[in-house]
Amino acid sequence: MQCSELELVFEQEGLAPLSAEARQHLSQCSACKHFVEDVTTIVAVAHELPAEIEPPEHVWVSIREQLVLEGTVREFSKGKQAASWWQTFGELFRNRVLATATLAAVLVVAGLSLSRTPPETPSEIQNDPYSSTVSLLSAQEHDLANMQLASTSAVDTSLRQNLQQVNDFIADCERHAKEEPSDELTREYLTNAYQQKAALLSAMMDRGGSLN
Amino acid sequence: MKLSTVVTGKIILPVIGASFLLFPSIPAEAAAQRLEKHFSVKGRPVVIIHNIGNGRIEVKSWKNAEVVVAGTKASDKIAVDTEQAGDRIDVTSSIVDATAKPSEMEANFQLTVPEETELQLTTQTGLIYVEQVTGDMTLESVAGDVHLKEVSGYIIVSTTGGSLVCTQCAGKLEFNSISGNAQVLQPALDNVKLRTMTGNILFDGDFVHTGLYSMRSGKGLVEVRFSGNDSFDLNAQTATGTVDNEASEYLKPDSHGMKHMASKFSKSLFGTVGTGFAKVELSTYSGTIRILKRD
Repeated sequence: MQCSELELVFEQEGLAPLSAEARQHLSQCSACKHFVEDVTTIVAVAHELPAEIEPPEHVWVSIREQLVLEGTVREFSKGKQAASWWQTFGELFRNRVLATATLAAVLVVAGLSLSRTPPETPSEIQNDPYSSTVSLLSAQEHDLANMQLASTSAVDTSLRQNLQQVNDFIADCERHAKEEPSDELTREYLTNAYQQKAALLSAMMDRGGSLN
Repeated sequence: MKLSTVVTGKIILPVIGASFLLFPSIPAEAAAQRLEKHFSVKGRPVVIIHNIGNGRIEVKSWKNAEVVVAGTKASDKIAVDTEQAGDRIDVTSSIVDATAKPSEMEANFQLTVPEETELQLTTQTGLIYVEQVTGDMTLESVAGDVHLKEVSGYIIVSTTGGSLVCTQCAGKLEFNSISGNAQVLQPALDNVKLRTMTGNILFDGDFVHTGLYSMRSGKGLVEVRFSGNDSFDLNAQTATGTVDNEASEYLKPDSHGMKHMASKFSKSLFGTVGTGFAKVELSTYSGTIRILKRD
């Protein structure tokens, strides 16, 4: 068995009992041995973590956004497929122990694949890598509108004004990105704006749940 | 003199006066309540304030090995708890009554800490002010401004709409905001990362040799004022904005032979001031980048 084959086994089966072939490879390959030890340690530490906490929605958005931008995962063009991928991804994170292990595995595999394969050029990445991020954020914003605070406190007013500014900025960047899809600088600003929006919506939802 | 007049003047009035003192017309919970606690520390303390309400946090230093937390809270609808575990001091405000109005959720804090102290401060609105403290600090606010004077360490400031003014700061500074401005004045910082979406950025000071400076604003002005003795490589880029170079006589082509490929989609300016010891990256999406030399 080669290193790449062992990675594949890990991707598909996780820490399930390894085959004799895999174990034999591990006994001879120090790199893979360390890799398995690291993952095992991560899972062991994860078991000691306290009860599960539902991470805020913006975490998914950020992780997904990063993976799409790095070309590690590809955007699904059909909404239905995207939802299914997203739900599966989200389900993986329901349990905190599994979440930690999965995230670690995803990042390790992503790191390995990025270090071994040449990066994709922007043109190879789908035309609209943001479509499901946009729909996710829109859904979140809609939810927020439903629970929207009537509060006129300085904090809530500031949050609302800033959300409006973020939306205006995103609209501006999106317009420009459509005209010049290969403009890296605009894409960078757009990505950051989506992340800011996700964080802001999350803060507003937290606040809506705890205050007023 | 009639008896009734005497009674009115000598008995009733004092009684009425006393009743005002004992039962003031303002409800008790509306009056500000003061608190003060002292904590002895041994080494470099870590002070954490998590103010879920609104209010100002002011931190000053002294030479004593003691942390003093003084403050006021607007009502009984907000509680302030303190805890010490070794050199870690936690101050947390929490809402006791969910029906509290914003004005009843205000808690202000004044801290006096040893000169070397680490800080983690969070508030919603109201100024965060830190003066003459050395140590890593994380400062977060939604709508309040953050003013720092003569502080050093690894400084991380996050706001939604609040602005940062950092005067004579040293060490490493990170600022992240949506609409807040950032002003960095007379710094001795060797690592600076400023990010704002719609705010303005002003850096007025020297660039430390080997320092890294990255400043980005989505829509605002990014202005850098350098001195004639400065030495840095400059990389300025904007997607749809403008680059206003008012220091062209100091800015020479890159002397290190590094080829900068200007994107065809953006306006860029590359150059070197002096021998290019520091690295300065300025960027805006649609705002203005202005580079000028101080008088």
